[in-house]
Amino acid sequence: MGNKMTGRPAVAIAAAGPPHHPPQVPQHRQRKPQPTSWFGRTWQGSGPGYMFLLPWFIGFFGLTLGPAIVSFYLSFTDFDLLRSPNWVGMANYVRIATSDPKFAASMGVTLFFVLFSVPLKLAFALGVAVVLNRGIRGLPVYRAVFYLPSLLGTSVAIAVLWRQLFASDGLVNSILAEFGIQGPSWISHPSYSIWTLIILSIWQFGSPMIIFLAGLRQIPTDMYEAASLDGASKLRQFIKITLPLLTPVIFFNAVVQTIDAFKAFTPAFIISGGTGGPINSTLFYTLYLYQEAFGFFRMGYASALAWVLVVIIALFTAFSFLTARFWVHYDD
Amino acid sequence: MTFSINRRAFLASGAGALAVGMLNPRIALAQDVRLRLLWWGSQARSERTDKVVGLFKKAHPEIEVDGESAGWDNYWSRLATQTSGGNAPDVMQMDYRYIFEYARRDVLLPLDKYMKDGTLDVSDFSKDSVAGGQVNGKTYGISLGANSVAMMINKAAWQEAGMDMPQPGQTWEEFGDQCEKLTNTTKRSRFYGCADQGGLEPAFETWLRQRGKQLYDADGKLGFDGKDAGEWFAFWVDMRKRGACVPADVQSLDQLTIETSPLSQGRAGACFAHSNQLVGYQAINKDPLTMGPYPVKSGESHPGQYRKPSMLFSIAGDTANPEAAAKFVSFFVNDPDAARVLDVERGVPESSKMRAVLKKEAKEADRIQIEYIGSLGEKFVGPLPPPPPKGAGEIQLMIKRKNEEVGFDTASPEDAGAAFVSDAQAILERS
Repeated sequence: MGNKMTGRPAVAIAAAGPPHHPPQVPQHRQRKPQPTSWFGRTWQGSGPGYMFLLPWFIGFFGLTLGPAIVSFYLSFTDFDLLRSPNWVGMANYVRIATSDPKFAASMGVTLFFVLFSVPLKLAFALGVAVVLNRGIRGLPVYRAVFYLPSLLGTSVAIAVLWRQLFASDGLVNSILAEFGIQGPSWISHPSYSIWTLIILSIWQFGSPMIIFLAGLRQIPTDMYEAASLDGASKLRQFIKITLPLLTPVIFFNAVVQTIDAFKAFTPAFIISGGTGGPINSTLFYTLYLYQEAFGFFRMGYASALAWVLVVIIALFTAFSFLTARFWVHYDD
Repeated sequence: MTFSINRRAFLASGAGALAVGMLNPRIALAQDVRLRLLWWGSQARSERTDKVVGLFKKAHPEIEVDGESAGWDNYWSRLATQTSGGNAPDVMQMDYRYIFEYARRDVLLPLDKYMKDGTLDVSDFSKDSVAGGQVNGKTYGISLGANSVAMMINKAAWQEAGMDMPQPGQTWEEFGDQCEKLTNTTKRSRFYGCADQGGLEPAFETWLRQRGKQLYDADGKLGFDGKDAGEWFAFWVDMRKRGACVPADVQSLDQLTIETSPLSQGRAGACFAHSNQLVGYQAINKDPLTMGPYPVKSGESHPGQYRKPSMLFSIAGDTANPEAAAKFVSFFVNDPDAARVLDVERGVPESSKMRAVLKKEAKEADRIQIEYIGSLGEKFVGPLPPPPPKGAGEIQLMIKRKNEEVGFDTASPEDAGAAFVSDAQAILERS
């Protein structure tokens, strides 16, 4: 009962947009008798907390969990946006598993992207973090500057900029021309186009770099002092001290970046004009999924593709956690 | 300090917020009739459309029109999503390729009633142009202009090189020779005779029709075989080899928009497009452009092109204001001031009166287009093909990909042609 009484107005407030006034604080501040019901006690304890969380809850249930459940249902239908969905059982999943050449092609492109972009990006981020960790003057400025690409990263403007850089008469080829090299149109050549996307991804090394930087600061400096007294070179210190102590951070970054790389969409969409071309060389899995859903109106099939991606990402993440205990060192 | 909320005050403020939230839209709705209008197209089209919306509001102050535009690619996903969510725009731009799909699903309003009572005036339209918007005897779309496929030609590039421009009635082979010559004589850097259009569906369709074949037959099946497709791809292999058209890595930058076409990018002296697009092409090209028909088959050639509604306006089946929507569409195709603003950017107007208005004003681009559409005789123009089947959009993208495979030497033209037919059949069966 109490649930309903308090639940309803809360929804109304959220539906009317962010509250403009703080809820009225009662004038007479007298200690009320302790409620006896379980709900009453819980409400008095953490009710206001949940109230503040409401916008997030509404977002999570309405915009994330709700659509996810619906998409799971739709993945067993032939929904085409205009007609009401018909149940087709496992047909969509069977097609994905047995007779969809584009599934294999797009998964191949995505795996290639993940395999190269994640390690390269992490290595680059770690390198920059190590350099910045030497206590340079103006560190906050550098940190901000290096972080900028990550903020701009997935935007349309950057993808358009990339098109300009790597087009046949773009900046990259102008520089190559100085050395007498006539470069191809990198972004529209099937052998190179995926690499322009990988470079774009590496360029957005900001957020792993910040996390590495925080990790590096945690390493006690006396360890390095002791090591250098014993005559260990900088490289040896890096391999024997920095890397092992940083493995939890590396692990975290690797998992997060891998998930991100599987979900990459915008750059490929903009750079190939939504086609994944030339010849499917930039057909990311997400782009294929988008084409099926919004290009060819196969919502049901696209939903099935989305759930397969969820499973694949989950498997990769589980695999990372399973292998973690062999190489991640936690302080104890 | 603890923070507790008086339940009654909380209820009251919640109810208040709810009431305010619900009242506002009601007030707005009572005041005027609002129409939503959705179209696809370039910047040039959006400017014209906005101006006509302004003219309409002046003539009908009681009706508010909210315009919204998208690129061709995003347009169809946006329209389908909105329609599926019960939120279709009242007036939407429609294409011949999709009108059957939408009409069959009962999401478009039959317009015959409004045509009969005069709200939607098509009395100056020819019978054929009204028929272009009909499905199973009912009218679901009003043509916004007639067009046909056309070759866009950069006049300046050909004249600088001291060459004749491509002429109406020349064969594909003659056209190729001429392009090769332009590539070899032009002083412009990395400039080619024409774009590589082996991946362009309307070009392929025209070429098929000239051989007496068709893209799709009346049953929605493929109207050609792997050999036809293979020869088409082979023609463009030869064009690339001779340098008559742009190389594959330049062509694959073309995203099938006016802005990304090799002609607009200053890399080609000609490209294939639709006649109404001359306005859009000219708007972003500094060199003066003109246009002509596609090349024809050597020997006996059937007419390959056809005249069709370049686009239509349809009204949503569940619109709250069908009368106002019909009034807007009628204004769009019949008002002389609107016609002056729109000129021929959406094709040559179907209303004979509006054509007369434009002829009198005779802007250069309008004149070229009206003359072009008027000059297409039986040698070039044949009957309207049957409506394309479901899956045609996907096949259209596949032609582009197959031509790229051939262009980047990952498939021979014969193999690409055979694979194209089998893949296309698989798509049609699945759709």
